Amino acid sequence: MTLAPDTTERFLPSVDRLESAMHAARRAFERGDTDAALGQLGAVLKLKPEYDVAWILKGAVLQKAGDREGALDAFMQALRCNGDSKEGWMGLASVLHELGRLKEEAEAYDRLLAFDPRSFDAWIDKGSVLHELQDYAGAIRCYEEVLALRPEYAAAWNNKGAALLRLGHEADAARCFEEALQFDPDCVDAMANRTYLYEKQGYHGEAVLWADRALRIREAPGLWYAKGLAHLGLLESTLAIRSLDRALALDPTLKEATAALRRATAMRGKSDFYRGPYECFGTHLEGDPGCEECEIRPRCREVTP
Amino acid sequence: MSVPSAAEVEHADWPTLQGMCRSLGLNPKGRSGVVRMRVLEHVRRRGRPESWRAGRDHMAALLTRLGFPDLAEDLWESAIRLDAPAPWVGLGQAQVAGGFLSEAAKSFDRAIQMGDTSALLNRAEALGAGGDYDQAIAACESYLASHPTDLRALAMKADFLARSGFKEEGARILLAAADSHPEFPFLHAGAGTEFLRAGRPEVALEAFGPTPRMEGGAIEGALNHGAALLLLGRTREAIDIFQQALEKAPERGEALNNLGVAYLQMDEPKLAASNLARAAKRVDSPRIRLNLAKVPKAPPRPRAKKPAARKKSNP
Repeated sequence: MTLAPDTTERFLPSVDRLESAMHAARRAFERGDTDAALGQLGAVLKLKPEYDVAWILKGAVLQKAGDREGALDAFMQALRCNGDSKEGWMGLASVLHELGRLKEEAEAYDRLLAFDPRSFDAWIDKGSVLHELQDYAGAIRCYEEVLALRPEYAAAWNNKGAALLRLGHEADAARCFEEALQFDPDCVDAMANRTYLYEKQGYHGEAVLWADRALRIREAPGLWYAKGLAHLGLLESTLAIRSLDRALALDPTLKEATAALRRATAMRGKSDFYRGPYECFGTHLEGDPGCEECEIRPRCREVTP
Repeated sequence: MSVPSAAEVEHADWPTLQGMCRSLGLNPKGRSGVVRMRVLEHVRRRGRPESWRAGRDHMAALLTRLGFPDLAEDLWESAIRLDAPAPWVGLGQAQVAGGFLSEAAKSFDRAIQMGDTSALLNRAEALGAGGDYDQAIAACESYLASHPTDLRALAMKADFLARSGFKEEGARILLAAADSHPEFPFLHAGAGTEFLRAGRPEVALEAFGPTPRMEGGAIEGALNHGAALLLLGRTREAIDIFQQALEKAPERGEALNNLGVAYLQMDEPKLAASNLARAAKRVDSPRIRLNLAKVPKAPPRPRAKKPAARKKSNP
């Protein structure tokens, strides 16, 4: 009996050919050639249709190419081949996130965590999606799981702080941001959250201090706006105008910034304090040696809550 | 200069912390906790040097020079730090380039308040560009109070004085600069020229010094030196200088003009006319044409008498 050549390939796949095609697909994907990668993966899946790793790679390639539905099918196919594939569940969750199907994304993490409860990535991503779904208590539980596994993980501390802030637990949130910045002094999200927290509490001096630090690392219209508000609170109208202008340059649709800018412009005629080299203006601390020597101490004391 | 360890910074007392700031070139002002954080941040960043890439400040400076002051201004604004005056100076320069002179003066003010006294000169430039010479001169004087022999500041002050009508005062500043900077001999010629413009040729002559320099760019000063002599009636000496200048640079129209005027003073209309005519060919200037017109025309030569017809003698 003689078999047709393609049938031979199908039932008697050469391991060498399978591996070399898989390798070529991976290399094509790494250099951004999605068409070539899909071509190679087609050959691989023809040789071994139940190959979960190939389906996962195909899902990643399609996701990169912008075909989210195709990517979703590919990840689901991978999970049909191997329901315990961590990469398969993470990939599926990632596509679901892009599609805005947040509840299903959370379920995907749950399925993964059911067989791998120590999956650190799944816990942190689940926390993020629960935060987006406004389940802040659930998000905090996820971050606590992460911190039980890795207590030095700054992003988890920051995320936990952000969720606590949403629940109104400001003191606990502040401690979390402190921890995040202790472990990663350049954690810009923690700096930004700290800025928002201080501004919410009326500590304008601290808000400016942390907004400046965060803005040195990464610009964001919200941060410029918060900085502008803080300068307004400190009666520094020129600095407020400058910050709000920048916020609006980055995001012209920021209506609150437009309103605040109007207030700052009106205030400029009446009050425009200049802090000079004092980065800490508005954070006066009685008895501190730096504050004792400060040239703008009386004004600083006035504006410090 | 050694960088302290993070532990040293954490446990440093206030005077030590300030000493660290000074040695590291950081701003030592502010609440001790904030100053400590500043030093720690510096120490941390020094510990892991990153590969160089153009920062916002580099790009902003380039954009100003390339003629995009608006973009430069935006970048400088995002580069502003409370412990560094340089971005304020950069912002001011971008604002000057964009024509926002009063805003620029304010930006320079901020740099000055942070301790960058050289920003006083930038401020003076911005004020001068806006025509506010009094304030510009005041800014130069503030700078000169701490840098009394700074040539740039002296030259700027002299220029602003001259532009606001005080030419003689400006010339005196240049003369003082020439005395304190003998390594720059052109300053004497500059001061002399300013005195000449102020209508003080006798003082100008003193400023020019005993012998004019003829090499390279100094020829302008030599011509003005000659002009001062001419105005003081020392025509022969002036002619010598103009002739020497023309030997070095025979194409200089103004030297030919001055020589022509000098010959006119010497009652040498022919030489005057020939030099002025040559000057007029080289430089199309109404002044030279007027000088040429002043040269008295030579009286017309008497017409040659026709030989009288010989009378035939009667045979």
